[in-house]
Amino acid sequence: MTINTVRMIAAGSLLALALPVASQQLGAPSNSPLPEGVPEGSGAGHPKGQYAALDAMPDWGGIWFVTSGGSAREGTAQPKLKGEYLTRREQWVEEVRTNNGVERRTRSNCSPPGMPRIMRLGQYPYEFIFSPGRITINQEAWMQTRTIWTDGRTHEEDPDPSFMGDSIGRWEGDTLVVDTIGISDELEMDTGIAHSDQFRLTERIHLDPSNPDVLINEMRMEDPEALEEPFEVTVRYRRDRYGKLLEFQCAENDRNPVNEDGETEYL
Amino acid sequence: MNLPRKLLAAALLLAPAAIPASAHHSYAMFDMTKTVALDAQVTRFKWQNPHAFIEANVAANGASERWAIEMTSPNNLAQEGWKRTTLKAGDKVRIYVHPLRSGVKGGSYAGVRLADGSTLGQVE
Repeated sequence: MTINTVRMIAAGSLLALALPVASQQLGAPSNSPLPEGVPEGSGAGHPKGQYAALDAMPDWGGIWFVTSGGSAREGTAQPKLKGEYLTRREQWVEEVRTNNGVERRTRSNCSPPGMPRIMRLGQYPYEFIFSPGRITINQEAWMQTRTIWTDGRTHEEDPDPSFMGDSIGRWEGDTLVVDTIGISDELEMDTGIAHSDQFRLTERIHLDPSNPDVLINEMRMEDPEALEEPFEVTVRYRRDRYGKLLEFQCAENDRNPVNEDGETEYL
Repeated sequence: MNLPRKLLAAALLLAPAAIPASAHHSYAMFDMTKTVALDAQVTRFKWQNPHAFIEANVAANGASERWAIEMTSPNNLAQEGWKRTTLKAGDKVRIYVHPLRSGVKGGSYAGVRLADGSTLGQVE
């Protein structure tokens, strides 16, 4: 046996060991547990037979652009912070002031902002996809996807901290009420405003009764560690009925890298 | 700011322009209170997220300067009439930009007067 053959056999054994469990159980219906609150045989995992019911949902077709209620760069209302979060905010504001208005970044401009800021972005539109047991929000910005579970499940007991968090929703008439937890505390609730791992977002999303081509998202942010009181902001979106989302491959066109001083460059 | 005199003469002091709502990055690098008109020949037009951009040669004091002009997103620009084919290399246009604070030859797109005289965006 040559050394090369031995190497190949060794590599083959490693490959077999590395195969994910799922591939070793061909035909198994699910390796993931039934979500809490979803009866067996129903929910988002069993869409068949539930499509006709979608027709009762409101008309959110087309794509949507933020027209107001975007990030606080517009100088709108600010959350009332407390404790270390207030201190950190004040330090951040002072640093931006002494740096001629330039905000230092700790991560690439190609890294998305996560929730809730990603629902408040100008320039890049959104679309809402209704399917049984879930609503999917596709965001042109960074080509992000957000899932809101509407099949009656409860929050995961201890969701992994993530950019989008764990969102569950329910319909109150034509208003979608979404509750989100589990958003990573490395993200910001708004530009230069940190939050804790107790951050919670409630959204009430509905068409404007006076203009069905305007979608309204009433956001309420709560955080017992960072906020003195709940912070509320209303975001409005304008419809483009036949528009479509465009690709967003940030790394292919990254003309604004962040240098080692945290400054956004311009190439 | 070390813009050539010719460009300064064309610089227009306007009310602060509406800053595109929170986008891919902060607009602090641009002086959004200033608009500069550039008589430019396009060398490259890139129609892609996160921001479309124009590269162009601008005549200044008998020399040619190379400018990079960042725009908003293609989908946002499409809402005001832009297409991937609106500009191409070689086009002679007048571009209105909010210049970089650093004085580097670059800026944020405000508007354009195309070779056929038609305009897009903010041109005054």
